[in-house]
Amino acid sequence: MGFGSDRSLSRRDTGLFLLCVGLSIGALSAPRAWGEAVAATIQQTVLVPFLWLQERAEEAKTSRATVIKLSTERDSAAYAAQFLPALRAENQRLRQLLGLGQRLTVSFLPAEVLHQSLPTDGQTLVLSAGSKNGVQVFDPVISPYGLLGVIRTVGPDRSVAMTWAHPEFRASAFTEGGTVYGIVGATSEPSTGKLLLELRGVAYRDSIPEGTRVVTSGLGGVFPPGIPVGTVVGVAREEAGWERTYLVRPAANPASEEHVLILKAPHTGSVTGAFIEDSTR
Amino acid sequence: MIGTRAERNRMLVVLLILLALQFYVRPLLGYPRIAPDFLLIGLLIYCIRSRPGDAALAGFAVGLVSDALTPSSFGAGALANTLVAYLAAWGRAVFFADNLLVNAGFFAIGLWLRDLVVLLASSTAGHGAAADLLLWSTLKALTTAVAGVMVLVIFRRWLSIRLAE
Repeated sequence: MGFGSDRSLSRRDTGLFLLCVGLSIGALSAPRAWGEAVAATIQQTVLVPFLWLQERAEEAKTSRATVIKLSTERDSAAYAAQFLPALRAENQRLRQLLGLGQRLTVSFLPAEVLHQSLPTDGQTLVLSAGSKNGVQVFDPVISPYGLLGVIRTVGPDRSVAMTWAHPEFRASAFTEGGTVYGIVGATSEPSTGKLLLELRGVAYRDSIPEGTRVVTSGLGGVFPPGIPVGTVVGVAREEAGWERTYLVRPAANPASEEHVLILKAPHTGSVTGAFIEDSTR
Repeated sequence: MIGTRAERNRMLVVLLILLALQFYVRPLLGYPRIAPDFLLIGLLIYCIRSRPGDAALAGFAVGLVSDALTPSSFGAGALANTLVAYLAAWGRAVFFADNLLVNAGFFAIGLWLRDLVVLLASSTAGHGAAADLLLWSTLKALTTAVAGVMVLVIFRRWLSIRLAE
C-alpha cells in the first residue's frame, strides 16, 4: 500500500468518524418524539429476535427459580444454604406482586422488565407487554413497593416506560392523609450523588416531618390516588416565605425490578391499601 | 486487520455468539447493573482488527441499538460507542498486546469510558450520575473485563490471538 493510498484511507477514516459523531449529535439534539419514534422502529424491526430471546431468558429465570426450589428441597443442606437466600428473595418478590394484584381494585397487566446495559437503563424500561396486551401510552407502571413510572411508547409486543428516575418525570403527590400537596421529580442527594426524589412546590406554611409517606394524589388523571411514591427524608431547600422542597427516598427502585404491573385505564379508583405497609427499601 | 474470508466468517460467528450472550445469558447473570456487557466486548474485539473508520461505523451501529433499548436520551449511546470504537481502533498498536491483563484493562477502560460519555451526553448529569459511574460502571467494567478475557481465551485460535499470562 503506497503513501498516497494510506493518506486517502486515513481521510476516509476521519470522514467516517466525523460523520458518525455528527449523526449522533444530531440525534441527541433532535426532538424527543423523533428519537422515540426511531427507537420504536428499531425495536420493532431489527431487535425483534433479540428482544424475543431476552424475554425467553427472563421467563427461564423465573422457571429456573422454581426448578432450583425443587432441587434444593432434595439436595444437601449445604447446597440449600448456598442458594436459598436468593431464591427466597425472588419468591417473595413474586408473591408480593401476586398479593398486590389480588388487592388492586383497578385492572392491570403483569409484565417483565428487559434490563439493558447502558447506565441510563432505569430511566426508561423496556417491558414485555405491548398494544396486543392492551397497554396504552400514559398507563402507570407499579411494583409491589410503589410507583415506578408511566408508559411512554407502545409497540405491538413491547412498551417503554419512563420511570421516576427520568429527569422529565413528574407526578402529582401528597403526604399520606392528603394534607400537603406537591409535585415529585428526580434529583440527587447533594453529598453522595444518590438518586432520590424531590417533593416540590410545598407551601412554606406546611412542614412535613421526616418519615412521612408520600403517595400519588390522582390529580391529572394519569396515576390513581394512593400509589406509594416514597418517604420524606429531609428538606432539600426552601425559599423563605414562599415554598419548601423536600427530599423523598423512593419506594421502588426501577434498576432492580424484574416484574411489574401496568395499570389499565381508567385510573380513577384509589389503590390505597394495596401496597406493602412499609414500602420503603 | 480482518483479512481472509475464513477470518471474517470466524469473527462473524464470535460476534453472533456474543449477541446471543448479551440477550440470553446476560439477564440470567444476576443484578443487571453489574452484568458484563457482551455487546461492547464484541465491538472492541471487532475494533482492534479494523480500520478506525470502520470501527466508528460499527460503534455508531451498536450505539443506535443501545439507544433504541434505552431511549432516555437518544443519540448518547451512539456518540459514546462511536468515540470508544474509534479510539480502540487507533489504540490497537498499544492494546493489541498478547498480555491478558492489558486486554482486561482494555475492556474495562472501554466500558467505563463509554458509560462516562453516555452520562455526560445525556441530560442526566447530576441525577445520580456520579454514583452510577463510580460504583455501578466500575463494577460492570470489572465483570466485562473478566468476561472479555474469557472470550479471548476461549476463541484465541479463531481470533488468531497469542496470549501470554
